[in-house]
Amino acid sequence: MKMATRQAGEAVILDVSGDIDLQSSPDLRKALLASLKDSSGVVLNLIRVRYIDSSGIASLVEGWQEAKNLQHRLVLFGLTEVARNVLKLTHLLKLFEVYETESEALSAFSRGEARNSKSETRP
Amino acid sequence: MLDVSVKLVLPSDPRLGGVVRGAVEQFAAAFGVPERECCALALAVQEAVTNIIRHAYGNRHDQPIELTCSARADTLEFVLLDEGTAADPARFCAWPLGEVRSGGFGTHIMAQVMDGVQYERLPDRNRLRMVKHLGKVDRVVQG
Repeated sequence: MKMATRQAGEAVILDVSGDIDLQSSPDLRKALLASLKDSSGVVLNLIRVRYIDSSGIASLVEGWQEAKNLQHRLVLFGLTEVARNVLKLTHLLKLFEVYETESEALSAFSRGEARNSKSETRP
Repeated sequence: MLDVSVKLVLPSDPRLGGVVRGAVEQFAAAFGVPERECCALALAVQEAVTNIIRHAYGNRHDQPIELTCSARADTLEFVLLDEGTAADPARFCAWPLGEVRSGGFGTHIMAQVMDGVQYERLPDRNRLRMVKHLGKVDRVVQG
């Protein structure tokens, strides 16, 4: 797994690629929590994630909990079929604010829309 | 269908997750399972391996794990053996799906993907048997 961060206004975009699994998920968790602390919110780019397992989902949930605690936002975009399927299997897809593209995610972020108001609701 | 089995013995090293997933995906694909279903089966088996590494072996990365993939009649079977500490069956799917927790999703994924998941403590080993009935998936004709 590889990660990189970019600043986009008040948000931090966290670009993730590769496999999020038992070995790499602690790094994702660490980066996610640090970025949430240092910004008003994180936009998580999952376009290049080939695989994510339950440990990766657990890291995302921890990020969601931290965002909630800090009253910051965590926004996801570019879910691959694999990532979407794992979130569906764990019944957590609707927990997250999910967009198709980076521009949609950033637009929603900058407009400060209520969570899930524009998120995908595909079952 | 003739009975076919493939056995893989590997250390409890998280770096080898891709090897496990690749083996399961390719094995299932060989029996006509569509790609999406192959990925789900690989995920479920990998979740079981992850639990062995974390819980049975306490994150020791040099312990043996044996995976046997079998195809017989209309069923795929995946059996995992390890020499770690016994699992607590009460922790399998211990809370309802959809509840916001920061862990414990693995057994839910196994239960969702597979048609049967059975844990057994042997005298000196753990055995996890997972079964998928091929009649329940739209198979791809090979050839």
